[in-house]
Amino acid sequence: MPYREKLSWLTLISLLIAATAYFGIFGPAVEFGKTRLLDIVWSYGPVAAVHGLVVLAGYAALALTPSGEPTAPADERDRAIERRSTSAAYFVLLIGMLLVGMVMPFTEPPYKIINTALFVIVLAEVARDTVMLFGYRRGLNGQAA
Amino acid sequence: MARQLRNEIRVLRFNAGEMTQADLGARIGVTRQTIAAIEQGKYSPSLETAFRIAEVLKVPLERVFHWEEA
Repeated sequence: MPYREKLSWLTLISLLIAATAYFGIFGPAVEFGKTRLLDIVWSYGPVAAVHGLVVLAGYAALALTPSGEPTAPADERDRAIERRSTSAAYFVLLIGMLLVGMVMPFTEPPYKIINTALFVIVLAEVARDTVMLFGYRRGLNGQAA
Repeated sequence: MARQLRNEIRVLRFNAGEMTQADLGARIGVTRQTIAAIEQGKYSPSLETAFRIAEVLKVPLERVFHWEEA
């Protein structure tokens, strides 16, 4: 499995676990900041910090593997897959932010807007990692797409 | 009528002293996985890389890549 594909699996799985922890456990516990907006910071902050540390630890572990792959620079296929996945994530983020920034302020309270924005960011990252994994696994950017 | 771009890299590598995917990749500046993806038709290389592959395998470009009726 290519080094960059491993990184995508790492970021995707850790992000899904972190998002599940916030949207499934810590968010509901404080009603997603419905009564106090700062509750969002105290519940999402630690989840995001732990997620960041897990990803950093995973990067370090992969970099220390004896295969030597991490030192290989990204080649044209890596860059093509990166472009494709970033475009997909941008599209998701654009649509989500239009909803959050231009529709929800007229209909929803602040805590819902903040949580929806967080959810859209998670969705965009999931889209990026998923398209990247498809790119490596199925050849999205080639003849077999 | 639909056509697909095919390649003969695997055969040409064999004819070039059983060159490995890693060797070919190293000589043209891509990873072994990218050579494997090109051989399987999962990735269409850039024009520059296509010419480099042909140059390393010492054959004309059209011997490496060609159209095939689907």
